[in-house]
Amino acid sequence: MSIFGTKFTLNRAICSKTKKIRPALRTRYMKNLILPTLLLLYTVSTNAQDSFQLARPLLKYPSAFFTNEMSVEMAFAEPSTQIRYTLDGQEPTEDSPLYTQPVRITKRFTSVKARVFSTIYQPSDVIEATFIKDGLPIKSVENTPPNQKYKGSGAVTLIDNKGGTTNISGGTWLGFQTDTVEIVMHLSKKEKVKNVLVNLLRDYGSWIFLPEKIEVFAFKNNAFQLVDNKTFEQNKNVNGSACVATVFALKNGIKTDKLKIQLHLVKQIPDWHAGKGNKSWIFIDEVKAY
Amino acid sequence: MKRNEFVKASSLGLLGALLPVQYMGKTEVILGHNNKRYKINTRWSQADVARYPVNNCHEMVQDKKGRILLLTDETRNNVLIYNKNGKILDSWGTEYPGAHGFTLFHENGEDMLFICDNNRHQVIKTTIDGRVLMTLDYPKEAGIYTKAEEYVPTETAIAPNGDIYVADGYGKDYIIQYNHKGEYIRHFGGKGDTPAHLSNAHGICVDLRDKANPCLVVSSRVQNAFKRYDLAGKYLETIDLKGAWVCRPVIKGEYLYAAVLQSNNSTGAQSGFVTILDKNNKVVSNLAGSTPQYQGNQIEEMYQTIKAFQYPHDVLIDDEECMYVAQWNSGKTYPIKLEQV
Repeated sequence: MSIFGTKFTLNRAICSKTKKIRPALRTRYMKNLILPTLLLLYTVSTNAQDSFQLARPLLKYPSAFFTNEMSVEMAFAEPSTQIRYTLDGQEPTEDSPLYTQPVRITKRFTSVKARVFSTIYQPSDVIEATFIKDGLPIKSVENTPPNQKYKGSGAVTLIDNKGGTTNISGGTWLGFQTDTVEIVMHLSKKEKVKNVLVNLLRDYGSWIFLPEKIEVFAFKNNAFQLVDNKTFEQNKNVNGSACVATVFALKNGIKTDKLKIQLHLVKQIPDWHAGKGNKSWIFIDEVKAY
Repeated sequence: MKRNEFVKASSLGLLGALLPVQYMGKTEVILGHNNKRYKINTRWSQADVARYPVNNCHEMVQDKKGRILLLTDETRNNVLIYNKNGKILDSWGTEYPGAHGFTLFHENGEDMLFICDNNRHQVIKTTIDGRVLMTLDYPKEAGIYTKAEEYVPTETAIAPNGDIYVADGYGKDYIIQYNHKGEYIRHFGGKGDTPAHLSNAHGICVDLRDKANPCLVVSSRVQNAFKRYDLAGKYLETIDLKGAWVCRPVIKGEYLYAAVLQSNNSTGAQSGFVTILDKNNKVVSNLAGSTPQYQGNQIEEMYQTIKAFQYPHDVLIDDEECMYVAQWNSGKTYPIKLEQV
């Protein structure tokens, strides 16, 4: 008989004298039987089962902005799965707290991260949202006129505590396509301001980019003084849309009742994007002072 | 001697290490809910990518011989013809760069195909072998288009009397009705703010499940809904499929099936799945999607739960109730077959 090209007969394989397997045939036996068997097993095992990943769980909340406290609901309607989450910015693991009921948020700035696990599928990617508490009372806001299609409810859109979702048609965002956007915040009274927050949207698929640069000014001694600035990198490897809450620091705090935020848009959409060479958009839904 | 023993020992060791790998993924993946559950075979297509390449796999139909026909916008072979085991039997088509819609109609015992081409701005009727029988340009007599480029037909549906309904899903979202000879009858739908209007009228089919009241089911994909009209274009109702960017409705037996291109909670992120509605147009199963839930008559938002699909674009249900899913923008992958369990 022949197995994998090795011709042999059973009685010839075993030496009649010593009852041991003949050396030459033993080597050939190894080569021609065991190795192919291993190869067969390997190919069978790799073709055995598609290994799918879970999709990200849902974070459900009416707005990412709140006055005193809020609750975040998490959902994933797939049997035999567990949502695990963190509130400290760490990536959730199977040892992180298990979601069982809406999570209460009270701090000024909370980054909620969640992931879903199961025994059948690979763990999902992380979904994240940042929840932002109200700061110093803001009396009014003026801003560069937004694009007609994305004018929300006017300037008040930026201080109504509504927003923090990636839905651009929900009326919570102001969308701009001008080269520079200016926002002036009038506080209810003059007080020490330590931080300024701006919530932006990044959604490359909708041609919404982060600004190239943001400068923050505080009104002091009859003029706006530059207190902080940031430049932004556009990351072409990022998928999907996300809110980007940016915080600026006023060193040692400044007593003022007027703040100005100047956002400079990316002049031309970069080469790696389908809209290259065109004007970009920026979207803003809320500003705060602390 | 020593070397042989070493070889033997390490081979057995490797064997021991590999066996568990085979058993690890043993729990079979079953997708769907209620009595519409399926196991998935991502390796169904046996097409050699060098001989029969695809670009976007847009739509599929089954002919009277039981063959599975796939429409792709790859002009080397716009139509690939498979047997049910995934083997390529034939191919044709090089003149359809915008091949998108694909509908089969039995006309006097023969299979006729209707192809919608986005780039040519035309609907083309062919025999099963690709011989062109009729070409329909944009409907000048409707008075709603000034030039061909405004008309981007995505789908056709053929009524039992042969009337042709064309969905201009990437143009002005009108449904254009012609008789079987291609003569314009009327148009309806279009963009607007009332329930009768449409936003991305991506697909259309004729629904004969209620024989006394045949109707049309039209996708309004951006609104995550289907809309029903009677055969004369009168708006009947909206079937809300909150969260699901539904492609064309496909009716087989009592059920309505649709590929969902993506989930509204995760757009632009390969978040597609497949949805199945029963004869009352209630969602009973989502393959790779969330468990269907209703609060009274109001559907809960649907979304992808398992990343088994990227951007499903069409489903085909064959004569054995097996499902095939064709995908758009999914790495030029071939259709996936699913079998009901």
